[in-house]
Amino acid sequence: MVPAGALQPPDRQPAVTWKKAPCRLCGVGCGLLIGLENGRAVAVKGDPDSPVSKGLACAKGYYSVQALYGADRIKRAMVRQGGKLTEVPLSKALDLVAARLQETGQKHGKDSVAIYGSAQWTVPDAYLAAKLFKGALGTNNVETSSRLYAASAMAGLQSSFGLDGAIGCYDDIDQADVFVLWDINLAETDPVLFSRMLERRRVDPAVRIIDLAPRLSRTSYAADHSLLHVPHAALAIANAICNEIVTRKWAHRSFIADHIAFKRGKTGIGTGVDADGLLVDEPTAATWDDYVRFLAASDPDQVQQISGLAAASIRWLASLYGDPLRKVMSIWGRNVNQDVRGTWTNNAIYNIHLLVGKVASPGNSPFCTTGQPSGGCAVHDAGSLTDTLASGTVQNQGDRQHAADVWGIPAEKIDPRPGAPLLSMFRRLERGDIRFLWILATDPMLSLPNLDRYRRAATKGDHFIVVSEAYPTPATEVADVVLPAAIWLEREGIYGNAERRLQHFDAIVAPPGDALGDTWQLIEVARRLGFEKLFPYESKAAVEQIWEEYGRFHADPRSQLPTIADLRAQRGVMWPYVGARETRWRYNPRHDPAAEATHGDYDFYGHPDHRAWIWLRPYEPAAETPDEAYPFWLTTGAVLEQWGGGAMTQRIPTLHHALPHAYVEINDEDAANLGIRNHETVRLVSRRGSLEIEARINYRSQPPRGQLFAPCFDENHPVQRLTLDACCPISGQPDASKCAVRVERLTGRSGP
Amino acid sequence: MTASSRNLSGALLGLFLIASAVVAVIALRVGVKRALAPPPPGTAPLSIPLVTAPAEPIQAEEQVFRTAPGVLAIPPNEPRERQAHPRTVKTYRFIRAFPGAPPRIPHALRPDEFRTAACRTCHQRGGYSLRFAAYVPVTPHPERGICLQCHLGEDSLMAVPVPAMDPNLRCPQCHGSGGVPRAAATLTWPTSVWPTIPSTTEGEFPPPIPHSLQFRENCLTCHSGPSAVAQIRTSHPERADCRTCHLTAGTDTLPFVRPTASGVLQTGSVP
Repeated sequence: MVPAGALQPPDRQPAVTWKKAPCRLCGVGCGLLIGLENGRAVAVKGDPDSPVSKGLACAKGYYSVQALYGADRIKRAMVRQGGKLTEVPLSKALDLVAARLQETGQKHGKDSVAIYGSAQWTVPDAYLAAKLFKGALGTNNVETSSRLYAASAMAGLQSSFGLDGAIGCYDDIDQADVFVLWDINLAETDPVLFSRMLERRRVDPAVRIIDLAPRLSRTSYAADHSLLHVPHAALAIANAICNEIVTRKWAHRSFIADHIAFKRGKTGIGTGVDADGLLVDEPTAATWDDYVRFLAASDPDQVQQISGLAAASIRWLASLYGDPLRKVMSIWGRNVNQDVRGTWTNNAIYNIHLLVGKVASPGNSPFCTTGQPSGGCAVHDAGSLTDTLASGTVQNQGDRQHAADVWGIPAEKIDPRPGAPLLSMFRRLERGDIRFLWILATDPMLSLPNLDRYRRAATKGDHFIVVSEAYPTPATEVADVVLPAAIWLEREGIYGNAERRLQHFDAIVAPPGDALGDTWQLIEVARRLGFEKLFPYESKAAVEQIWEEYGRFHADPRSQLPTIADLRAQRGVMWPYVGARETRWRYNPRHDPAAEATHGDYDFYGHPDHRAWIWLRPYEPAAETPDEAYPFWLTTGAVLEQWGGGAMTQRIPTLHHALPHAYVEINDEDAANLGIRNHETVRLVSRRGSLEIEARINYRSQPPRGQLFAPCFDENHPVQRLTLDACCPISGQPDASKCAVRVERLTGRSGP
Repeated sequence: MTASSRNLSGALLGLFLIASAVVAVIALRVGVKRALAPPPPGTAPLSIPLVTAPAEPIQAEEQVFRTAPGVLAIPPNEPRERQAHPRTVKTYRFIRAFPGAPPRIPHALRPDEFRTAACRTCHQRGGYSLRFAAYVPVTPHPERGICLQCHLGEDSLMAVPVPAMDPNLRCPQCHGSGGVPRAAATLTWPTSVWPTIPSTTEGEFPPPIPHSLQFRENCLTCHSGPSAVAQIRTSHPERADCRTCHLTAGTDTLPFVRPTASGVLQTGSVP
């Protein structure tokens, strides 16, 4: 074979060199190859060796590197002086942050300070934030945007299986025969996973993709079947599927006898409005007969009335789940999780799989996706939620002792009471209980529901807000100090995606100006507070040292981590990583080294009884439903071209031009009745706020009669001003993606 | 079948074979001649000096360019359509953010097409589109089901009605004042280096392939046919099996290294 380089003289070798990195956007965790030229990222291609994306990328991935080069990158620290942000040297800004943090804690108590980070953090960022606030400062006021997008998924796994972290993995997509998409527009939220699914169907045309959602989306058109239901109905539908499975005697009785326990929890738990903490559920034992009696209330014919989904469709879905010859994968995401019964709905979907024994084996997989690069429990596991530690919870004495031992502090330093979960954190800011807030890598001033309320809380009152950001955002507008953040390829880090895959990336381009990664911002502030001994990391080796320290929290085979050398060498590693082998299917002794074969084919070791729990979770009504004054359901969500609050994607020309602003989609018959024309600006009004926005008819999705859809990426049209700050009382995740609204025309007769 | 009809079909087959051979010989001659012809006077030098830009699709392509079994991009003996939107190096680069980027969609889509990604209706097969007055470029990866995941259009084009056939009405819809507004530059993004062929090999050697083949394994979709950029059209598409002679120039491969003493194959740095 002729060596490839021999055809060209040496001076014509390609100038571009390629480095691996996981994508910065969304939680799929595609492997990218970044083209570098003269110290800049100039091109992207999908990494053919990535086990996640296998060479594919989506439009966001291809243009992702352009997010580093926006013309208005924040390059210098800024301090608000006389109402205006003024550039100052970074060290001065860090001095000020440390001084105000210390002063506030001394004056108003240790719980008057808080940090709100992000599942866009790297794992070392999240770990250090928890260490600084929980270990050094002794307050549990640590939260991340995981609470907003994934908390019900965590609480669902915790309650059904006793441990956080996905059961299966993306390889299930290559093996399943039936895909049931629970209210997730996968073609736009997780495009590369959707492509993998379409590829699976191309290879085996018998594969069926079923889209179960409130509206017709791009996913519906590519699916084999599209079943429409009203929002909030997933829990009722899941229970009805279980009812049909039990009635038809499709339940896998020996699997249930060997591996399942039945539990009742609290009921009538409310909608979390103005709750100040998380509800602790109290499981009580139940039996198979109790469960069968419980399901009697979820007859498909009755659930048809609640859900709007035909009983025949429910029975057909049950027949697919119940068919012993078909492997079924259920996939869901934020829409299921952002619900006042988010945790229960997660439980109920697990119940279906547990009833028929389709779990923890290749292709049989209840799977929750995640929207942020470290959303797949990488950040929760680092202890950066108010009730968690890097291993276990703050309430547990043993877990506190373990953390204190690793950190070298007295165990009494760690507060056993959880602090404020996300919405409570901002309500405490509103009340003046929290007076210092540091926001990093996320933008609550755009993403929180009932946005006007929390924007008011952040602008009024005597408090000090620090924002670490790469671009000016609504959050930097309320900041007293802005710290310039180095992001993604500008600093070393590790993300963890939805399938438990940890992916390392090097600092391969220089950050602009004074910009500094969040890891080092936290270290610099910690040292200024006098915690040099707790934060002894060296400049180049910091990530490696932090990873080694963090690994001491996960020495158990149930969550054992790869070393930094493993991560550098491989295209991501799925934990638990034991004996140089990654675990693709947990609780399955053939795949998971922590599962013991003495318990049979499966060992659900998360619970002390080594069983998975089927919870009796009744349908309870939504926090808000349409009525005469507000007759429409509004649902919100993500679109392919934009991501998060758009801070990065709206600055990328191709993505911006593809979808430059948010819109509201309305059914064509509703539009005709209201006299609304395509592209007309309308006003949406909810009980919490109003918003003027362009109407689109028969655009990329089609809501049914009585429903509207609006994407939530656009800071110029923040649909979150309308949404609801109720939450799932168990997980604390806001019910942030649906509410009741009315539509008003701006000219002539107003809407109903 | 009667004896005379057998004779007739035999004669027709013979004629067809002779005609095919003649066409192939002409095609080869034309192809070679075009490849070696000097550039027409007054043409600015191009940064992709592959073959001389032909004024119109070269003869050979009409005979052999196939986009699907049995389908010719340009049916023989049919008049060639006016090409209102010929692809040029400039437009080729304009719709790509960087070398290798998935091209943007430079035209309007009907809402139903947008929702269902009906792209393959035209782009799997190619041919002439009356609607856009242009030859349709062909996708090198028709097996990929959901085109809009990588290829993005422009929202402002969604409001542009599908062009009518009258060019006086048609062109201003997209190209007139206020047609497609452009936001102020939000990005510092210098153009990267586009792949070129080393000049020393021109005309002497089968030039190496200067770009990655990822998602572009089918060379003919971009390098032949009337929809291709003229400057990168091959002179000999009928040879079809391009990579017999043209090798990738290191964009997809690591340098050759020998096994080390420890027996571990050293694969160089992670690409």
